[in-house]
Amino acid sequence: MNRSIRILALLGAIALPSVASAQSITGSINASADIATVFSFGAPSALNFGSVTPGTAATASGYIPLSRNIGVIYSLPDGATTGLLTGPSATTLQPTYTCGVGATNSTITSAFTSCNSTGNQLTLAAPTGVTNEFVIFNGSLSAAQTNITPGNYAGTIRITATGN
Amino acid sequence: MMSRRGWSTLVALLLASWPIPAAAQAPQTVSIVPVQNLSFGLLLPGFQNAVSIGDVSRRAVVALAGNGPVDIAVVLPTALETTSGDRIDLHFSASDAALLSAAGSTLSPLDPRQINRVQLGNDRTVLFVLGGTAQTTAMTRPGHYAARVALIINHPGT
Repeated sequence: MNRSIRILALLGAIALPSVASAQSITGSINASADIATVFSFGAPSALNFGSVTPGTAATASGYIPLSRNIGVIYSLPDGATTGLLTGPSATTLQPTYTCGVGATNSTITSAFTSCNSTGNQLTLAAPTGVTNEFVIFNGSLSAAQTNITPGNYAGTIRITATGN
Repeated sequence: MMSRRGWSTLVALLLASWPIPAAAQAPQTVSIVPVQNLSFGLLLPGFQNAVSIGDVSRRAVVALAGNGPVDIAVVLPTALETTSGDRIDLHFSASDAALLSAAGSTLSPLDPRQINRVQLGNDRTVLFVLGGTAQTTAMTRPGHYAARVALIINHPGT
C-alpha cells in the first residue's frame, strides 16, 4: 500500500501545472531642451549735438542697448575715425568721446580702453542670466571746433560686439 | 497486493481524470520600441514651455505591442540637466500621457505619475505618448539640457 501511495504521489507531482510568472521589461526615452544664446543689439538712441552756435562748445550723449546671456568683447572697427562727422564740402569734425557700458543708458560703469582705437576695448564675462546693458558714447565739441562752415554734419559710431 | 492489470487500470484512470495542460503555456511577451524623444526644443530663458500630448513633433512616443493586461509605470525626471550641472525644472501633470492607436486616435488618457493598467490585444501596436512642462528662469544658462525617462512595463501573471 505504501508503494501505491508513493506512485500516486509521483503521478501527482508530474501532473501539476506549471506556475505562470510575471514578466517585466523596461525601455527609456530621452527628454531634452536647448537654451538659446541671447545676444542682440536693441534700437539705438542717436548722439545729437543739435543746433550749435558757431564758436560755442557742445556736448551730447547716445547709446545702444545690448541683451546677452554670454560674455562679450566690444571693439571699434573705425578706430581713430570712430564717430567722425562729415559736413559741407567734405569738411570733417571729430568730437572727443568718452565711452563704455552701463546698466542704465546714462551712466558708464565699465569704460572702454579707448574710444578712437581699433582692437578690443572692453571684455565682459558671461552674466548669471540674461542681462540688458547700454553702450554709451558721450561726445564733446570744443568752441574752436564749432567755428567752421555752417551746415549739417553727420556720422556713424560703429561698435562691434563679439560673443565670448 | 494489486495485480499488474489492476495497476495499469488504476494509472489509466488517474491520468484520464487529472487535469494536465495540453501544452506548455505560451510565454506572454510585450515589446517596447522608442519612437520619438520628448523634445522641448530651443527655449529662451525666463519662460515656461509646455509640450502637450497633442504636439506630434515634440511629444515622446513609445510603441507597445503584446497581449493581455500590462501595468505601465513611468520614472519621470524632476529636471533636465547639462553636463556641468545646470538645471531646468520639469513638471508633469495628470494629462501629460495617453495611449493612442497606431492611427493616432486616443484610446485612453493616462496619468504618467501613476501606474496605469492597460489592455493590449492581439499583438496590435499602440502608442504611449508623453508630454510635460519645462520651466526656465532668467538665470538659466545657454546650453543643451537632457534627462532620461524610463518606462517599466509589467505583464502580471495569471
